[in-house]
Amino acid sequence: MLDCSVNQFHPRRSRTNRIVVTGLGVVTSIGIGRELFWKALLSGCSGVGPVTAFDTSRYPVHLGAEVKAFKPEHYAFTHVPWPADRASQFALAAAKLAVSDAAALSLPDSEAEGIGIVVGTTSGEPRVIERFDDDYIAGENERIGHDFISTYPCGVLATNVACELGLGGEVVTIPTACAAGNHAIAYAFNALRSGKAQVMLAGGADSFSRITYAGFARLGAIAPDLCQPFDLNRRGMIPGEGAAFLVLERLDHAQVRSARAYAEVAGYGLSCDAHHMTAAHPQAQGGARAMEIALKSAQVDPSQVDYISAHGTGTPTNDRLETIAIKRVFGDYAYQVPVSSVKSMLGHAMGAASAIEAVACVLAIADGRIPPTINLINPDPECDLDFVPLVARSHKVNVALNNAYAFGGNNSSVVFARCET
Amino acid sequence: MNHRVAITGTGLISPLGDSAGDLLSALCGGRTGVSKLQDFSSNGHRCHLASRLLHFRPEKYLSGRPLRPLDRASQLATAACGLALRDSNWSSEQRSNFDVALVLGTMFGGMHTIAEFDRTALVSGPASVSPMSFANTVINAAAGQAAIWHNLRGVNSTVAAGNVSGLWAAGYAADLIRYRQSNAVLAGGVDEFSVESFLGFERTGLLCANGASPERPIPFDSRRNGFVLGEGAGFLVLEDLDHAEARGARVLAEVKGYTTAFDYSQGRDSTLAVRTLVRSMHGALSESGFAPDDIDFVSASANGSVSLDCVELMALGLVFGDSANELPVTAIKCGIGEALAASGPAQLSTAIETFRTGKLPGVVGLEELPLGCPLKGIRSKAIEIAAKRALINAVGFDGHCLSIVLASLDK
Repeated sequence: MLDCSVNQFHPRRSRTNRIVVTGLGVVTSIGIGRELFWKALLSGCSGVGPVTAFDTSRYPVHLGAEVKAFKPEHYAFTHVPWPADRASQFALAAAKLAVSDAAALSLPDSEAEGIGIVVGTTSGEPRVIERFDDDYIAGENERIGHDFISTYPCGVLATNVACELGLGGEVVTIPTACAAGNHAIAYAFNALRSGKAQVMLAGGADSFSRITYAGFARLGAIAPDLCQPFDLNRRGMIPGEGAAFLVLERLDHAQVRSARAYAEVAGYGLSCDAHHMTAAHPQAQGGARAMEIALKSAQVDPSQVDYISAHGTGTPTNDRLETIAIKRVFGDYAYQVPVSSVKSMLGHAMGAASAIEAVACVLAIADGRIPPTINLINPDPECDLDFVPLVARSHKVNVALNNAYAFGGNNSSVVFARCET
Repeated sequence: MNHRVAITGTGLISPLGDSAGDLLSALCGGRTGVSKLQDFSSNGHRCHLASRLLHFRPEKYLSGRPLRPLDRASQLATAACGLALRDSNWSSEQRSNFDVALVLGTMFGGMHTIAEFDRTALVSGPASVSPMSFANTVINAAAGQAAIWHNLRGVNSTVAAGNVSGLWAAGYAADLIRYRQSNAVLAGGVDEFSVESFLGFERTGLLCANGASPERPIPFDSRRNGFVLGEGAGFLVLEDLDHAEARGARVLAEVKGYTTAFDYSQGRDSTLAVRTLVRSMHGALSESGFAPDDIDFVSASANGSVSLDCVELMALGLVFGDSANELPVTAIKCGIGEALAASGPAQLSTAIETFRTGKLPGVVGLEELPLGCPLKGIRSKAIEIAAKRALINAVGFDGHCLSIVLASLDK
């Protein structure tokens, strides 16, 4: 039986308002399922390769981090009467993996009223609108399907998975771009604390999209060869795809069913720069504020943080500003806390990225190892923190902080903490 | 003790006016924003009607800075946020020390911007797309643009739950206040009419058919045969009640409770659909501490849809039991069309206005309720009513249900 009754980090929390992570499911370019993913992440595997989703010959760049090993037929939709597209397939796969990982969590056959799902995403199902555009340009409007309205709206990822799993609780999509996974976890945290839900699946999903690729390519933000967060010679991000879900439940609920808790969600902070749509605030005020709010809400002192999973996209500006933000919040301690960017391996899985990174934080706590920042060969003097270059590290992690930033000036930080047993 | 949630301002961009007061009097006067589609009429479409914002000029609402970075959906949202902030009598100087949050609901986000961006890349090559347009292809673009325009530095979130999204944003915002994550939240929704959404809905066969009788959407009427697509934006300023009172704000109403539920059959199992909506209404009533008999009127989600209106009638009958007979019910989508994420905020705003004026709009064109309809209090004409408590429903095409209980402030 799990016992979290004594917790050194927040003694004032009761069993009913503490939210624990009891299941993890991931679909990534370097591994599908918690064990394969974690092994690949600690080994420093890269999921980057030539894009196969569409022809990139008209683009100046050609690399992406696609989930090439994914077999949609293993996660077929049988309760949704229209074809579910790739992001929904990823989401369903990750959700099912998370549920089966959450030992003995059974989704009842009857109406699962207290179980909900919240899905973060950047693009929802971009391939549906891409097909619409192909037909529209060809003048073949009549080919636009009667299921377009059922398969495209921004909320379709959550509804598709909820229909397939028979979930009747809070079902919603949070399309807050590259911070969406963290936003989804924050939403689920609220829903559980308010007592409106007993169990929530929280995470994110995105599939490779020519729209996103065209946009980042036009911004000059895509690296031509390597994703090298915090390296002096970093030249950008690499678009990716994937999905991740965490099973979240109240501690008392987990205890009743004798579930193992990997960690707990201790708090979160969300803020907005209100400065620029695509550029972060030049002094990283918003990013720092999100971290401060998160630590305060988790009742954690900055010096108690053992690991930071950076947003770390590999663009020159992001990595420099994130370093500034961390220093603003952590002061001198910033130089002692290990920080790494798994985007060096996975590319940027958009709305799924911070959900995947949340899984990495939770596993770092559970396993006592920190994934590396690969391709970090020549440290940038402006990015002078301990970025765990090249190889994974054994390190006891009691508290992990997960950062994610997005277009629209969105900043998000989530704090995960060891659930003492 | 959880914090109480006050509504201190509303802002609307609707085909029937840009304030809750204008919209309510238009609806009570039997006016409708539904009109013939000028630019699609000859294309052989099934539906020839929509409720559009043909008069919307962003510069009327937004001045002093370039509008070019904002796409139309962002302009609508930013304009409605500005109206709500002004209505709450909270100047940008007074707000400067607060991190005001923004929760924006949307069914389609900037779908038209996304599609145009993609088509430009396809036709003219990926190098020819505009970086400024790319910024608006993220679904949270409208929330980001409104935050920049109004300097909203708090939580900035976007929620997508189909046509329930706007009411969902209000519910999420209420929780952010109740659980002390924000003192003040702008919450609402935006969806624009676009060729993409119109063609998509055309294919579903759910829209009013040209030549049918009646040709217009008449929620709950036994002859109803569909809805028409609308558009708009609506936002409310939600504040911690103590915070609102401390700054001397006028409190329009209080959010007493809300609950969401999901019908995973998405309407294919009508029993489950009814049970799910009953669950969201029961949840909202229970959280608010009110019994069904305490509710003075219902603002229904009904939009003229053949199946969903019936689901809502049956669910209301089950929740209100014997008192369903007398229950006053309004359905404002007869006038504004199915404005998707803008519908819920319009329902909330007009309900508040009903508290204030005692006027409840009728369902324009209603002649005959369906056989066995448990609600006899639905009228075609506006009525006078002394109302302090309202139940607001949003029911989605895709299985989402959300109910909110609103009350005028009891001192």
